[in-house]
Amino acid sequence: MRHFGTLRPLAALALGLLVSPAAAPAQNLVVQSATEPPGLDLTATPASATAMVVFYNVQESLVKVDRHGKIVPWLAERWHTSDNKNYTFFLKRGVRFHNGRELRAADVKFVIDRAMNPETKHPYPDYYAAISDIIVKDDYTITFTLKGTTANFLLNLARQGSVVYPRESVDTLKSEPIGTGPFKLAEWVRGDRIVLVRNPDYHVKGLPKLDRVTYRFIPDPNAALAALKAGDIDAAMFGLGPEHVPELQKDPRFQVIIGETTNDVIMSMNNSRKPYSDVRVRRAITHGINKPEVVKGAMFGLGSVLGTNVDPLNPYFVDMSGAMPYDPGKAKKLLAEAGYPNGFEAVLRVAPQYYYTVRTGEVLAAQLQKIGVRIKIEQVEWGQWLSRVWKDAEYDLTIIGHAEAWDIANYANPKYYFRYDSADFQKLFTESEITVDDKARRELYVRMQKKLVEDAPVVWLYIHPRLAVTKKGVQGIWKDLPLPAFDLSEVAWAK
Amino acid sequence: MAFVATLFFVSGLVFVVVRVLPGDPALVIIGPEGSPEAAARLREALGLNRPIPLQYVEWLTNALQGDLGVSLQYDLPVGRLIASRLPVTLPLTLMAALLMAATALPVGLYAARRHRRAGDYLAMAVSQIGVAIPGFWAGLLLILLFSVHLGWVQSGGFAGWSAGLWPGVRSLLLPAVALGFFQAAVLVRATRSSVLDVLREDYVRTARAKGVSELSVIGKHTLRNALIPIVTVAGVQLGQLMAGTIILESVFALPGLGRLALGAITARDLPVVQGVTLFVASTIVLINFAVDLLYIVLDPRIRYE
Repeated sequence: MRHFGTLRPLAALALGLLVSPAAAPAQNLVVQSATEPPGLDLTATPASATAMVVFYNVQESLVKVDRHGKIVPWLAERWHTSDNKNYTFFLKRGVRFHNGRELRAADVKFVIDRAMNPETKHPYPDYYAAISDIIVKDDYTITFTLKGTTANFLLNLARQGSVVYPRESVDTLKSEPIGTGPFKLAEWVRGDRIVLVRNPDYHVKGLPKLDRVTYRFIPDPNAALAALKAGDIDAAMFGLGPEHVPELQKDPRFQVIIGETTNDVIMSMNNSRKPYSDVRVRRAITHGINKPEVVKGAMFGLGSVLGTNVDPLNPYFVDMSGAMPYDPGKAKKLLAEAGYPNGFEAVLRVAPQYYYTVRTGEVLAAQLQKIGVRIKIEQVEWGQWLSRVWKDAEYDLTIIGHAEAWDIANYANPKYYFRYDSADFQKLFTESEITVDDKARRELYVRMQKKLVEDAPVVWLYIHPRLAVTKKGVQGIWKDLPLPAFDLSEVAWAK
Repeated sequence: MAFVATLFFVSGLVFVVVRVLPGDPALVIIGPEGSPEAAARLREALGLNRPIPLQYVEWLTNALQGDLGVSLQYDLPVGRLIASRLPVTLPLTLMAALLMAATALPVGLYAARRHRRAGDYLAMAVSQIGVAIPGFWAGLLLILLFSVHLGWVQSGGFAGWSAGLWPGVRSLLLPAVALGFFQAAVLVRATRSSVLDVLREDYVRTARAKGVSELSVIGKHTLRNALIPIVTVAGVQLGQLMAGTIILESVFALPGLGRLALGAITARDLPVVQGVTLFVASTIVLINFAVDLLYIVLDPRIRYE
């Protein structure tokens, strides 16, 4: 008995270690990523593969779009404006970059100045075009002066191109980004994986919950499914298609998260080319498409039918999905009025890199055949699509998803590949950009959407759903994606 | 000399083709949401606006000094990128080649010896299936069986050699089987017909008439003489194995040369496309050279001037 007595304190110590937080099992998550990021510099690439790793996980911005789509203070703990032209941001104190240095207002000025400088080849210089002056008041106070009222100014500061990084790291952003985020980059084995580890000095108490996140690049969707089933990965955020959903929903080992995104899948018509320059033809094509059937046929019923450019996650969304209903009789009549009683032939150019474009195209071709529009589907490789369709507008019809949030500006740009040129719409848009009053701005957005439906420059088909699959027990993943971000700071395994 | 001329020709061809193809690296980097002005500035910075012959001369001069340029997407030297992928692709190709030879030679020999008997028909039927099944599908079936159902190996990814020999070999095993086993089908047929041809020769009949043991007839008299066409086919297939890695490395998520090439083509990462093509072309030229040398060993009557 005496022997046991001497062991007792040791046993108590061991038990204490077991229940103390230091001995809690490490929280690791292995995530599939379909494509490897082309570099990790958010100020050099718009790639969503880069955002998936870096945005909100490694680097953050002054303000943040939260999981509900609301703009909330982040690196700036608050901001102030009295005239919507001069904004003063008050930085949170004690925020440290991963290199240990404290974040200062001068860093913010440096990154935004750099984004505005055409020499740096930032992919979205337009987001900062409204800024006329940035003044550092002190280490924690910074003022932005705008050329005029700019309604999207705060939103643009929350976007991926506006992340704050220490100026001394500017030359290594592409391979070793550092920031203030909940995770630090630990390792990038090119072609295989990226590993992030917990930032112990993160400025938000209690976050992140995971100790380690590993992104594994698995390009093939079937291989990703196999990896999930074999237990080699814990989550697939984007890699799986809607065809995998029914099977995974039945499997008790997994949870399927289906949510909204800002990715509106559209069929664009070249508005500068005959016969699509005639609004009657564009309306006829819109009436000739049965959108619910498209979603059923191409997306296994996942994804909501869309009527205009503005997506359901946008606060100014108006449901216009019924505004131009499926009506083949009306479509034929409109075509006859436009001088095409027997229809016409059209080439639909799609990039199979995005599987949904081909599938959607096949359904559309069958539907439009019924109103006399005979479609030939031509598959082009992504690089070619970008050059020929997007840049040179060398196409009749094309399908693609526009993932960017708040992208109605594209319709106000007559040089954009839609080649939609409406002075009325452009006027409405310009007004909406300088209107800050929420009610007045909403009214303008409603008018813009109505105008778009009327002019039918493209056919808005559906919102590409967010499809994420994880093992049971993974919590805290954003259901909707109000902007293309993959915030993992609150993700954890259920205890 | 022919070696240098071939490489020179390949490098020039690839250089022109990747630049004439529609698709602009700057556009792919900036993407459809970025601004066209930003893409134009990037194109200028990447030096893509200069005349193609000028770009080629510059690239060639650097390549001759061992500098293959810098990757547009990774911002790393192309030579270093290629070198970092070899520890995956070379062992994979080698393992696949060994599997291919180890399966094809005995099965081909067996089928030839059992000519027009059940064993021959069975071997031919199985190899016909092997020819018909695409590597990527075979790969997926293997993953389903060995990773998902049996759980013996990881479904993909590369453990790396730093963890030891076995973890590395283990992660390459399934892709090597998918690649080598199914490529073996072609070699089985080549072996069978080549051995059959030799078996019909007079000297084989003479050997058998003399009472030479069957083992010696096959090993000494038949196989050696049948090897030349077999080695030729195997050489060609070694090149095909390298091409096969492009698809299988994607299915098995392996960080090899094939995936580097595929990603580079999609991203229009021109220096990488050029570098990898040059490397693969050099390897194939070297394989052919090795096959030519093997001819001399196999048949002393062959001489090269």
